[in-house]
Amino acid sequence: MSRVSWVASGCLLWSLAVAGVAATPAKPAPATRVPGADQVHATTLSNGMKVIVWTDRDIPNVALYNWVRVGSRNEVPGITGLAHFFEHMMFNGTSKRQPGEFDRQMEAQGGANNAFTSDNVTVYQDWVPRSALDLVFDLEADRLANLSFDPKVIESERGVVYSERRLRTEDSNEGFLFEQVQATAFVAHPYQFPTIGWPADIQGWKIEDLQSFFKTYYAPNNCTLILVGDVSAEEGFALAKRYLEPIPRQAPPPPVRTVEPEQLGEKRVYVERNALTPLMYLAYKSPAANDPQGPAINLLVSILTEGDSSRLHRLLVEEKKLAIEVGGSFQEGFDPGLTWLTLTLPEGADVAAVEKVLDDALAQVVSQGVTDAELARAKNLYASTFWKQLATINGKASLLGSFEVFEGDYQKLFDSPATYERVTREDVQKAAALVFQKNHRTVGVLTAPAEEAAAPQAAPATEAAP
Amino acid sequence: MNRLAWLRRSAAILAGALIMNAALAADAPVGVKIPAHQRFVLPNGLTILLVPKKEVPLIAFSGFVRGGALADPAGKPGVASLVAGLLDRGAGKRSAFEFADAVEGVGGSFNASAGAESISVSGQFLARDRALMIELLADALMRPRFDADEFAKYRDREIEFIKSAKDSDPSQLLPEYGRAMLFGSHPYGRPQGGSERSLAAITQSDVVSYHAANFGADRATLVFAGDLDPKWMKQALTQAFRGWAKSKSTLPRLEAAPRASGRRVLLVDAPGSVQTYFWLGNVGVDKRYSGRPALDLVNTLYGGRFTSILNTELRIKSGLSYGASSVFVRGTVPGQFEIHSFTQTENTGKALDLTLETLDKLKHDALEPAMLESARAYVLGQYPLRLETAAHWASTLADLEFYGLGKDYIEGYGPALTRVDLAETAAVTADAFPRSTDLQIVLIGDASKIRDMAAKYGPVTEMKLSQPDFVPAQK
Repeated sequence: MSRVSWVASGCLLWSLAVAGVAATPAKPAPATRVPGADQVHATTLSNGMKVIVWTDRDIPNVALYNWVRVGSRNEVPGITGLAHFFEHMMFNGTSKRQPGEFDRQMEAQGGANNAFTSDNVTVYQDWVPRSALDLVFDLEADRLANLSFDPKVIESERGVVYSERRLRTEDSNEGFLFEQVQATAFVAHPYQFPTIGWPADIQGWKIEDLQSFFKTYYAPNNCTLILVGDVSAEEGFALAKRYLEPIPRQAPPPPVRTVEPEQLGEKRVYVERNALTPLMYLAYKSPAANDPQGPAINLLVSILTEGDSSRLHRLLVEEKKLAIEVGGSFQEGFDPGLTWLTLTLPEGADVAAVEKVLDDALAQVVSQGVTDAELARAKNLYASTFWKQLATINGKASLLGSFEVFEGDYQKLFDSPATYERVTREDVQKAAALVFQKNHRTVGVLTAPAEEAAAPQAAPATEAAP
Repeated sequence: MNRLAWLRRSAAILAGALIMNAALAADAPVGVKIPAHQRFVLPNGLTILLVPKKEVPLIAFSGFVRGGALADPAGKPGVASLVAGLLDRGAGKRSAFEFADAVEGVGGSFNASAGAESISVSGQFLARDRALMIELLADALMRPRFDADEFAKYRDREIEFIKSAKDSDPSQLLPEYGRAMLFGSHPYGRPQGGSERSLAAITQSDVVSYHAANFGADRATLVFAGDLDPKWMKQALTQAFRGWAKSKSTLPRLEAAPRASGRRVLLVDAPGSVQTYFWLGNVGVDKRYSGRPALDLVNTLYGGRFTSILNTELRIKSGLSYGASSVFVRGTVPGQFEIHSFTQTENTGKALDLTLETLDKLKHDALEPAMLESARAYVLGQYPLRLETAAHWASTLADLEFYGLGKDYIEGYGPALTRVDLAETAAVTADAFPRSTDLQIVLIGDASKIRDMAAKYGPVTEMKLSQPDFVPAQK
């Protein structure tokens, strides 16, 4: 069974971390442009909404994604979590449709939907048979033009979101530590806010907060519409013109002004909770998604943490047996953010010893770089994940959207294999030197309270690590 | 682990749509055809399917070796799971690291896991690495090393992973407790991945013996799909696998477990938990259940999609939970029907009452024709998304092979769905869904706050989440 934390990992944003070209370790293949660019067409409606269509008639379905440029990065104290709550409210009624009608009508014509919110964006996803294309445009246009808020529904949805928070944060050591590290890493920038929201804010949102949020951010000129599947560009554009173009353009949302000041020393946060397995999370200040060093940072993280042959997995899990799991990610956004290293430790682990070994390993990457084989491995993993994404209408919609929104041009998707192929060992070493600076990091440790750790747990008959 | 994004709905809701195994285009209800493929059996009994499907330069594989947890030695659940996990941790001429490096070095993937009745393998490689893919797969299945050090390391980690799940996602363990309670000593009641206690008692020789007895060509089927040349593949696969001997044991017979009557409650104490995670279940139907199309439609309406009766009551109308869903797990013999949700500790009773009421409503009220039409359109409309890629077809065809189902299971499913009427839905509702008075109930939560309430639903047995088994300690 897949773990909920994986489900929550926003695979769409990870698509940025995943591209490359077929290349053997010994002999990299020449990087060519990915086929398909000629099947993609884009237009911009008169109200500023960009529409991108990729025709793929493999199955009689269409994926429609609406990428809205708003996330928890656009929040302020008191309304943290509002972008995510708003995402929920986008399904809860318009002046033309009762709460619940959106889902009922879509499912009755064979469609399903979901949505997610991150620090940077909110994305609405519909998967429908092509016979439901008209309906899905009608539904999407209706909620963009006519959203309304029923006070009773707001209260009920508040409970739903709080339940989501309890599931993923309050009853989860991983979620709890992640939130604490993120909140500690930033002193000024709104990336410090948990996307789910602080509990008091979840309980405190008002209808006026939602109304003003809608007016500010849900402008057609702040949205990018992606259509992939059994639909031609002509059809897609015509539907967009008919249903979405009448929605008036609005003033663009205000930019996020706050720039995080440079961090001048390591920060640490300790959490004591019931825990059998301690956790250690490290978050390093890192550049924004569109930074030219982005591909090198993604390859660096892959070399260190992706798969059983990755450097840190091999060292910490297989050789030293200090950790049971190692993860990593470059969290790409509009503004400079974080690169994470996450370690799950065995019961009774010596946290300080783990940190020492990890620090030595990171220092070695900075001073000596990585090998040709490691770099080729990372590029190949990248290439295969890229191709797997291109095999589905879902994956194509994710790639188009993330390149258009974060890189500023969906066409870059077709060049990304070549971009990644050009990354050298020197580039990766430079990326390591940029990212792995102790003065720029926040270290979070979660362990059981001291007295509980001393008490015998109901442990099985294996030896715990010393 | 990362938490970039917050989803509108839980995985379980979407997974509801995943459990149905057939395909159909809404525009052409008889349209889905299994792609043209080759099937052949080697003299040693190994069955191989080749499905050419060129879209991206990848080859996916999916296969199984019969046995799985069913063949675990008595009192040692988890052996098959360790065997599966160790197949690629050293095999043939490669150490564990060398094997991982060979797979990942070319951007490939290799997964193996134990289910109730088989060990499954799957993976994907770039098409140009087909020779390496076959070599690695043959090594993993026929020549795993099971080195002592790798065995101990992997077993100890598996134990820690169960603890880690208790720390960060206890709800994923609900089915382990639920199946143990519902099926008891029946093989479906065993924890397929083992428990902390059972894993600790497993030795290297258990793993070696399991492999020697159960891994054989006649127990295995491999399906390859994607950018492949069938002629080349057939030749290379024959070469690689013709030396695989037949298995040296007979498969244990699997009898159907009886349905449980009455209610019992297992309360798993997680002190400090702010939510109660609950599971309700009983024995359901098997893979060949004749009412499958009708049952899929009724379960879609009951707990298989966002606007389902369950999710409407527990989430949409009341805001009690982030999500509620139901599923029929179907094996060679009937597996479990289960309901799964969670709510704030203080609301546990309210959420359980609502859950039981929805089941009563389903059992007693006639389905409205419009509901049936909506479910039909939904299942037909979502199906193609599960049969889009070569990897989807590899796993679907492996599933058909495992259960010995004909192509009609896929190609006849759409037409069958279009024929389902209200009489059939009423019949499967009466037959396959348990009454609300016949449910095994698992609650993971803060026992000090829900202990008294739990007693309302049946006789309560209590244990701690930190206990190293999925059943209460034997007295």
